[in-house]
Amino acid sequence: MMGKLKLGVFELTDCGGCALNVLFLYEKFFDLLEFYEIGEFHMASNLHEKDHYDVALVTGTVSTHRDLKVLREARNRSNYLIALGTCATHGNVQGSIEMPIREKLKAVYGDEGNPMRAIDSKPVVEHVAVDLAIPGCPYNKEELYQALMDMAKGIDPVRPDYPVCVECKLNEYECVLVKKGLPCLGPITLGGCNAICIKSGLGCIGCRGPLPGEVNPASEYEILKSKGYDDEYIVRKFKTFARWEP
Amino acid sequence: MIIELREFTRVEGNGKAEIVIENGEVKDVRLKIVEGPRFFELLTLGRHYYDVPDLEARICAICYLAHSVASVMGIERAFGVEVPGEIQLLRELGLIGELLESHALHLYLLVAPDVFRYPDAIRMATKHGELVKEGIALKAFGNRLRELIGGREIHGINVKPGGFGRYPTTEELERIERESEVLLRFAKRTVRLFASLEPYGERAGHFLATDGYLWGERLIAEGKEPFHYTERIEEHSLVYSFAKQSRYNGEPFLVGALARLLLKGEQLTPEAKRLFEEHREKLETGYVSYNNLAQAIELVYALERAGEIAKTLLDKGISSENVSVEPKEGEGIGYVEAPRGVLVHHYRIDSSGKIAYSNIITPTAMNHAMIEKSLLREAKVLYGNVDEMEMVQRLEETVRAFDPCISCSVHIVKL
Ligand code: SF4
Ligand code: SF4
Repeated sequence: MMGKLKLGVFELTDCGGCALNVLFLYEKFFDLLEFYEIGEFHMASNLHEKDHYDVALVTGTVSTHRDLKVLREARNRSNYLIALGTCATHGNVQGSIEMPIREKLKAVYGDEGNPMRAIDSKPVVEHVAVDLAIPGCPYNKEELYQALMDMAKGIDPVRPDYPVCVECKLNEYECVLVKKGLPCLGPITLGGCNAICIKSGLGCIGCRGPLPGEVNPASEYEILKSKGYDDEYIVRKFKTFARWEP
Repeated sequence: MIIELREFTRVEGNGKAEIVIENGEVKDVRLKIVEGPRFFELLTLGRHYYDVPDLEARICAICYLAHSVASVMGIERAFGVEVPGEIQLLRELGLIGELLESHALHLYLLVAPDVFRYPDAIRMATKHGELVKEGIALKAFGNRLRELIGGREIHGINVKPGGFGRYPTTEELERIERESEVLLRFAKRTVRLFASLEPYGERAGHFLATDGYLWGERLIAEGKEPFHYTERIEEHSLVYSFAKQSRYNGEPFLVGALARLLLKGEQLTPEAKRLFEEHREKLETGYVSYNNLAQAIELVYALERAGEIAKTLLDKGISSENVSVEPKEGEGIGYVEAPRGVLVHHYRIDSSGKIAYSNIITPTAMNHAMIEKSLLREAKVLYGNVDEMEMVQRLEETVRAFDPCISCSVHIVKL
């Protein structure tokens, strides 16, 4: 058998969820270790190999110069880079505050001390070319497992291409948008989470970002308006995880 | 001269430290949180209250539910909404799941490799496979509770002001009752392991917690007379860190498992209480490293309490009814015990239900000053007596004992 592939996990500014979610694979994490050797994963290990990686997972947004440096290194030292989670693919919540960085810092830290060198939060994909983007806040861990397993076997990973709505129908969940009038972004959000939030009887908040391609945010906008939500509310919802243009 | 502790590993988020040496003596320590700011208070300003808990969850993945629940409680208090015992018990069950998931991650996967001298749990698993497996089983159980109550393992949206989107079924509760009992054995073993370790770090002088075991109406400290955080906690910005530092009456203080046991030991479940009494003398020395032992005892507490809650709910049956929430102008503070200590969510809401002011103080920001104090003491003890590599390694262990959650710590607003 061929040698194992080298895997590195790099964390930029984020909540830690996408890195943690790798550990939440439990036994499957050990299955992955049959094919991958981990050279760097600072949440889980104090190894720091500064090596070349076959696959690099990068989570989080670029929000500091340190982040940018880590990202560039990860890109330079890896063959296949995966932007993992909505922070990395779309900028997520910290990317959604439309205010110049100086003002943001001032509002949070006051004038007492100006902490270091922050920059406007941007997703990984806006700074470097990535080979695969797996969105989700956090991403569906099965999806990552499948992608890594596929790659270990030399197969190009498959990507979902349908909205959350489809998964709702497959699970036979009652439509919360039509039946309860709850704000639900399911129709325009990329599926792959198995409509987990609708299982709770609540509306999708759009954490996997927009469905690429023929998505129709304008009609979603109209539906939400007809349910009584005001413009500002809808626009904010659209712009929270990804910067949807209604 | 400055000795750098490069970015901490086996902690959540990005942070490092500097030890300042002058004339051959340790002079100062700076804990630098280099994780970028995430501006959560700005994110929530002007938002409709209904959406806020789901966004606040994103502050931290390890304790997302503590953030959702604290947020929901702050909102409910602002509106004067009271939820019945059933909803409270279910929230508690979720927080217990989080305690299990987080403490198990910390003790088995992040700290145990120090105890057995491995770079990580993956490499440790070859020799100590049982321990790693038991840790993973506890963590997985904790996560199942989070999924059940919170809606997802990470960042679920099921916890809402006034109740839940979905309530657990009888079968789900029965399973919790059974499994929590089975897992108890593992937790007890771990208490023995952590009780056998020598203490390190500083001895904390002040402890802080919420007045109930996993949440409260106010905070308590040694005197036990409840107070609001605004009365005794101040925050400062630092030039070298994205996290602010808090002080209690001007002094560094400790929050987290050790603080909870010392201030609220009498609220524990039977077996956890027995273990607490058995190790009380040690814990009362206040060494921050005993936070690890305290967490192990809390694993026992969490499992016993999960069983109790499941049983109570099964005996009574659950009605699965939400309380209706009508927005009105108001102010409220949610105080919750996240696994690593007190978490505060404070809001003012306008009459249309939008957030007009928000302030969040996370446990790691509260412990920030205590971590520095602890590093300073440990560095003084070690400098000149062990080589630099070992010193750096031991200092990292001191930081790790706080179970710091760095992502959490970086967004405090001032308006
Ligand atoms: S995408 Fe979500 S879960 Fe992942 S790191 Fe960002 S905030 Fe956390
Ligand atoms: S239902 Fe929507 S909010 Fe929930 S996980 Fe799926 S994409 Fe994210």
